[in-house]
Amino acid sequence: MASASVIELHAPGMRRHTTVWHILQGSLRGSEYNWALAFLIPYTGVFLAFVVYPVVYGMWLGSNPALYGDLFSDPIYQDTLVNTVLFIGVAVNLKMFCALLMSGFFMRRGWWVKALLMVYVLPWAVPALPTFISIHWMLNGEWGLVNNIIYALFGADGPSWLNSRWLALGSAIYSHIWKWMPFWTVILLAGRMAIPQDLYDAAKVDGASGWRQFVHINFPLLANLYLICTLLSTIFTLGDFNSVYFVTGGGPANTTHVLATLGIRDAFDMAQPRLGVAAVMSALPLMIPLVIILMRKLKTAEVQL
Amino acid sequence: MGNLSRRSVLRGTVCLAAGGELARPYIANAAATTAVVWWVQGFAQEEDVAFSKVVADYEKASGNKIDYSIVPFAPHRQKVISALTSGDVPDLFPANPAEIVALYAWQGKLVDVSDVVATQQAQFSDTALLSAQCYNSVTKRRSYYGVPFTGAVLPVHIWKSLVEKAGYKIDQIPKAWDAFWDFFKEVQTKLRDQHVRNVYGLGLQITTNGVDPNNTFHYFLIAYGGKDIVTKNGQLHLDDAQVHAAVLKALTYPTTAYKQGFVPASAINWNDADDNNAFHAKTIVMDIDGTISTEVAIIKEKQDYDDIVTMGLPLSNEGRPVPSQLTVVNALIPQGAKNVVVAKDFLKYFIQPQVNNEWLKVGLGRNIPIMPATVRNDPWWAADPHRKAYSEQGVLGETVPAYWAFNPAYAQVQNEHVWSTAWIDMINGGMTAEAAARKAAKRINDIFAQYPIEQS
Repeated sequence: MASASVIELHAPGMRRHTTVWHILQGSLRGSEYNWALAFLIPYTGVFLAFVVYPVVYGMWLGSNPALYGDLFSDPIYQDTLVNTVLFIGVAVNLKMFCALLMSGFFMRRGWWVKALLMVYVLPWAVPALPTFISIHWMLNGEWGLVNNIIYALFGADGPSWLNSRWLALGSAIYSHIWKWMPFWTVILLAGRMAIPQDLYDAAKVDGASGWRQFVHINFPLLANLYLICTLLSTIFTLGDFNSVYFVTGGGPANTTHVLATLGIRDAFDMAQPRLGVAAVMSALPLMIPLVIILMRKLKTAEVQL
Repeated sequence: MGNLSRRSVLRGTVCLAAGGELARPYIANAAATTAVVWWVQGFAQEEDVAFSKVVADYEKASGNKIDYSIVPFAPHRQKVISALTSGDVPDLFPANPAEIVALYAWQGKLVDVSDVVATQQAQFSDTALLSAQCYNSVTKRRSYYGVPFTGAVLPVHIWKSLVEKAGYKIDQIPKAWDAFWDFFKEVQTKLRDQHVRNVYGLGLQITTNGVDPNNTFHYFLIAYGGKDIVTKNGQLHLDDAQVHAAVLKALTYPTTAYKQGFVPASAINWNDADDNNAFHAKTIVMDIDGTISTEVAIIKEKQDYDDIVTMGLPLSNEGRPVPSQLTVVNALIPQGAKNVVVAKDFLKYFIQPQVNNEWLKVGLGRNIPIMPATVRNDPWWAADPHRKAYSEQGVLGETVPAYWAFNPAYAQVQNEHVWSTAWIDMINGGMTAEAAARKAAKRINDIFAQYPIEQS
């Protein structure tokens, strides 16, 4: 036995020392250990090259405190922070709440509901860039589709959607919701479908209305999934570049940037990559707690679904 | 298939390592004659094909190899800036955007290419040479850090049918600066009287996106006498009375036209393509926009192509020709390039007038030569009315370089869109021209303070 032979190497009565080498080796012996290393080394290499190195390099690029002084004194950055909070706060919550409602609708039976679901998920399925560029054109004040329809229906000119900060930011938020709501609806729909039908049947026997079924069955059973989806969506939305860049371009006059687009503007349009990295890094105080909460929620022992 | 054992894995690894070691001299020899080039994708596919042909011809003539990749405009810009930041650079790439030649020359990140420029020095226009001669803050001197190979100016594009519908003829367009722009206001008024909805007289890019608003501002600035806002020695002259007066006028005319409703409302948030779209939709009677891509984009729609009139700039209000600011595109070799010799050799080949001309012609004249003799000697440049007007304006006419060539600080001024932000301050913020100019001047002075030029 291997363990016996190891012990025999030591003098009788002498206590075996636990070294780092032993810890690394674990219960693997001989060729098992070599094979484990052969499989681990490529993975570790890829992980170091494509995950650790870019993150550390990014942190090094944005490590000069003077960059943050420049950033915080920039009025465009101050507007950008407000926009980012609004963009995430409104877009994520509105999108997730509507997705929750829509998932309830798509639980209904009938072929037309299934057909409608196929149409409903199309915005999510089509490529993002052409659709956001199309939205940008559709919102053009003079020749855009939206204002032409408004004129045809009401004989009046519509607003210049992309000319004021709040209308333009609202347009970007709308575009984000339009693009991503179908995805989260499908996720929540899958969650609803996993709830046993017996629970609803029992609730009906007890005389529970639709609202009470939602409060006492759907809400508690979907709560964890909804929270995890919201956290994930918040992280995704923080990095959403396309919805803003291709709909408003950060304009008018750089008033609708979010951190993701400002980082790209500073890095490449301004040719100041370190400043761009600093802009993105400034989201870390928000990002890190979100990731920690998400990890804790994923580990929870009381996952209902 | 035999069993994979630990020994066989180790044996294979040793064989691979040994094979690689034995092949190293051959790989090294191949690398010695290979230059890595990152080129920008052309407007038309033919431009990429033409570049591939230039490469193939060069490889045949020299025995060297050009390992090139053609990258779309925006990703190319990101790739280049990332490469110069990380130090993992190619051997050659075009300046994208054009002003990075000045920024990276300042930082000492470019190879001096005076020997390449010297091979065609007599052929290049003065503006092309000035645009390649940038200041290096490490060596404290100017030198050629870019090799010019093409350029672009802003011609005026006009819908003839809209002008005629308003009751005018093209030859009635006034020649003096303010009267020229005012004419299109009248055209708009006449068209609106005929119930033409959503038509605007002026396509002025009063936005803070892309290169167009910077160019538009400078064209107005130069026309109003502010040409010397930055001089060849890299000094800023915002305090000069003539420059200050020109700044105020260049801020006032476009913003007043906008507020009066002669520029589309959406112009304050246009991107580079939006003015082209507005023009093609006949929402604007005229557009001042770089290159003749506006025309070339619809070259297959003959009726519309012929309906556009392309013309150079009007005269100044005093009746003098207004020089066009020529944006020259340079090819750059970064410090750290592994094969500078081949990169330089390829550039010497590429800027030969005939080679360069054939490459430009495939792009249908969208970009113009930086060697006046090319246009004078080749009737192709005058064979099309749009091309003729464009090349006369940008090659044979009077031109001035972009100001970043004199001082890289101006590249940052442009990238931050300081002047077009002043326009927006006047339009949305209600500032007076004087207040907007003062705010812009403060920012520009701050930026210039970071780029002191000790010797020129």
